[in-house]
Amino acid sequence: MKVRVDPQRCQGHTLCAMIAPDAFALSDLDGTSSAVCEVVPADQEELVREAARSCPEQAILIEESTNGSSEVTIGQEKTRETTA
Amino acid sequence: MSEDTVTDRDQTKNRYHYDRHAPEYRFQFEEITQELHEKCPVAWSDTYGGHWVASSSEAVFDLARCPHVSNDHDVNGERRGYQGITIPAKPVPIRAGILEMDPPEHRTYRGVLNPYLSPAAVKRWEPFINEVVRASIDEKIESGQMDFVDDLANIAPAVVTLAMLGIPLKEWPIYSEPTHALLYTPEDSPEMARVLEGNQQMAMALFAHIAEIRDNPRPGIIDGLVKLHVDGQPAPDMEILGMLTLLIGGGFDTTTALTAHSLEWLGENPDQRERLIRERDTLLDPATEEFLRFYTPAPGDGRTFSEDVEIDGTQFKEGERLYISWAMANRDASVFPEPNKIILDRKGNRHYGFGLGIHRCIGSNVGRTVFKAMLSAALDRLPDYRCDPEGTVHYETIGVIQGMRHLPATFPPGPRLGPGLDETLDKLQKICDEQELARPITERKAAAQID
Repeated sequence: MKVRVDPQRCQGHTLCAMIAPDAFALSDLDGTSSAVCEVVPADQEELVREAARSCPEQAILIEESTNGSSEVTIGQEKTRETTA
Repeated sequence: MSEDTVTDRDQTKNRYHYDRHAPEYRFQFEEITQELHEKCPVAWSDTYGGHWVASSSEAVFDLARCPHVSNDHDVNGERRGYQGITIPAKPVPIRAGILEMDPPEHRTYRGVLNPYLSPAAVKRWEPFINEVVRASIDEKIESGQMDFVDDLANIAPAVVTLAMLGIPLKEWPIYSEPTHALLYTPEDSPEMARVLEGNQQMAMALFAHIAEIRDNPRPGIIDGLVKLHVDGQPAPDMEILGMLTLLIGGGFDTTTALTAHSLEWLGENPDQRERLIRERDTLLDPATEEFLRFYTPAPGDGRTFSEDVEIDGTQFKEGERLYISWAMANRDASVFPEPNKIILDRKGNRHYGFGLGIHRCIGSNVGRTVFKAMLSAALDRLPDYRCDPEGTVHYETIGVIQGMRHLPATFPPGPRLGPGLDETLDKLQKICDEQELARPITERKAAAQID
């Protein structure tokens, strides 16, 4: 599973870092978020999904990979499926 | 566009009488919200000169982030005469700071505030905030009774906001009463003249601080703003005043409102209060977000369409007014199951309690931190408090702020932990000055050292 924060959308609500503090880092300057690591450690996956669901701006993009195909979601909306 | 065409448009189709300033609105809020969500999530109301009302999560999400929706308040008639975020328009010729600016101007001013109000910047203030809260409770704890609004929730938000601005802490009562009164006094009340006079005096005091800090700089947001240049010129004093009144209005009343409502609800639901005390380490964060969702102290804002635009199948015309309801979107059952119920550990709580998009509340980190400090201290030190419903006073109308004027409570008397408020504020003022706590995070990283 991969995660990234869309900097054009993030407005620094900080809910992601509250929910998954090990997966998201906030800018000292304005509180906007970025993923600590693009590839999410297995034990963080559920928290990262909850963070994405909780983002008011729907700025968190998650890419789930299963058997060579991957599915991208922004917040709660599935946007596209790709097959590698 | 002719009048005939206007009446044929979506305004007729989606017409709904919506008056959020009416006293009965407070009691009908859940019913009206549900009706709007089911029948017309984007409605046209003829009230206050006519305006759109966005109530569903989806409509609010799309409209609050739409580049063709403007916050501009053109007080001097230099642009297109837009009336900012207030519906109906306020007769006061002053902009509400960044909340009534569009990009790029908005970005310029907001950029000054960020390093004072980011999560990291606010974290430095935690020991200071806890000390103000400690002293507020110490003033009353031996007596076994206090008013949670007057004696607790009004104090820390005001003191902390002034400290961050660079205004002497002991001046907090000058700013506190007029700020709250402006929001709870009905426009047609005989009290209004006195309230406006108080606000006038507050504005004069702020002008004096702006001038003083320009001549003799001292750390704080005012210092940041007087040093700001826009197009090569220093930011005008009227714009700085607008910023300060926005920060004071936003910093005082909203956090007070959230805290009072939460304490009232926890008083009415002692099982949930016990649970929050027991599981505070894991529950305080989600509970805070849930209170923000449910009570949404700042329930919405006005906007103006700056282009003809069609969004989600509704056509809007340039110049039309729009009210975006964070409070109603926060009760959208398609996003929040059981929306009218407080669920302390709610999941997927993507609430709009701080608004959305580029105008997201800049003070959200202060609000959360001060709220958590006050709630935690009340639960720690007054765990068995009982509120007195007879003496509880909610704001008569909730069109601007969903607030409370009084929340008297009783509790078993307890011991003081330190000096009272006046002595504590004197001590904190020295600490503020010596440690230059009000510097931006770019200049000072360390947390406040108390004692």
